[in-house]
Amino acid sequence: MIEPLIVFRGIKKNYANATILRNVDIALYHGKCILLSGNNGSGKTTLLKIIAGLETPSCAEIEFSGKSLSWKKAIQGVRKEIIYLHQHPYLLSGTVESNVSYGLRFTHLNRKQLRDSVKEALNWAGLADVAKHKAKTLSGGVQQRVAFTRAWILKPKVLLLDEPMANMDLESREKACDLLKRMKSEGMSIVITSHDTNIIDGLIDSHFSLSDGKLD
Amino acid sequence: MEGILFTTQKALYLLLTGDSELWSIVMLSFSVSLKAIIMTTPPALLVAYSLVNGHFPGIRIILAVFNSLLSVPTVVIGLFLYVMLTRQGPFGDLRLLFTQNAMVIGQILLCFPILVALGYATINAADKRVRETAMTLGAPWWFTILTVLYEVRFGLLAAVLTGFGRIISEVGISMMVGGNIFGYTRNITTAIALETSKGEFAQGIALGIVLLVLALVLTTFLSYVQGKQETST
Repeated sequence: MIEPLIVFRGIKKNYANATILRNVDIALYHGKCILLSGNNGSGKTTLLKIIAGLETPSCAEIEFSGKSLSWKKAIQGVRKEIIYLHQHPYLLSGTVESNVSYGLRFTHLNRKQLRDSVKEALNWAGLADVAKHKAKTLSGGVQQRVAFTRAWILKPKVLLLDEPMANMDLESREKACDLLKRMKSEGMSIVITSHDTNIIDGLIDSHFSLSDGKLD
Repeated sequence: MEGILFTTQKALYLLLTGDSELWSIVMLSFSVSLKAIIMTTPPALLVAYSLVNGHFPGIRIILAVFNSLLSVPTVVIGLFLYVMLTRQGPFGDLRLLFTQNAMVIGQILLCFPILVALGYATINAADKRVRETAMTLGAPWWFTILTVLYEVRFGLLAAVLTGFGRIISEVGISMMVGGNIFGYTRNITTAIALETSKGEFAQGIALGIVLLVLALVLTTFLSYVQGKQETST
């Protein structure tokens, strides 16, 4: 039996008087892709943000590297292995190149290694020709690919994608889907939220639906 | 009418011939106000950022206090500082009264709430995804703050320019804690007040022109900055 990479147990989230998540358990595996579906407001984004350490749950536990700890204690260590991408990714001011290299500033790479990594990443995503372009001036599809590349370059173990294909034309979807398949084949664990299950066919290993704060 | 024209002519003459007394007053004004704005900006923006992103009790009360401080008259700040710095005051031993440092402190007190309030409005309006993007990409907390501030830099620059415009044109604090000492604490606004009271309008008008030109430059630059902000979003 394959050991999960990381397990989140008993995730609860309350906002004021409303309960968004009730005892949600989710296990993430190397090289596997999970599709999370659910109606608007069902808590998909909240769940992803809790997994990414960007939102605090009311209660949760994390099982990682053989240890089971409370979310609060474990999240600092886990956070660097997980990258969350917004539905509409935010590209920072500057060029595509500077966006892709953003996260590498916090690694121990020297300037030459950083430049080489960025070059390799841009070639990997087919973005070399827009490397010097201002990131915010690009089309939505290309911006999404820049965001994928900015995440991929950091080699996270888990990639969380919130409605990545929303508002994309067919060509952009195919290109984005191709990048995701390559990330998955490299062993990345991917969680995608989406209404549309057809477009990401061939990528999904398991499908869960979030309704009434529970995962089915 | 002839008198006004003659005085204005004399004022322009003083300005254009580089009258050393007049320009030393202008330089002193800029020196004091620049020191104040440079010292105020980093802590004020940090406070503004903490108020936007912090999770601690009393945030609304703190905000309300800063917003109320925006309307405190400069003479009240001057009076408060005077009481603090006078020989009998709690900080009298520091011998700061009637010095440029006292003027800088007073202008910091005036400018701090302005920068916190305007900084808060700017940072609060920033896209929430900036902070989350920086965090998820592994930025340490301090770099996350820098990233957010950089993304709203044009709005913050407009706040800083507004603060600078406010402190360089204030008169109450400079008069009360500076003492209007020629060559030492006399700045543009206190000099205008003094020259007018003496009936010597030429230097006052010349200094007034400097302030008006400064206001014009700041306003033009503000419009430019706001235009940049709109195109960057």
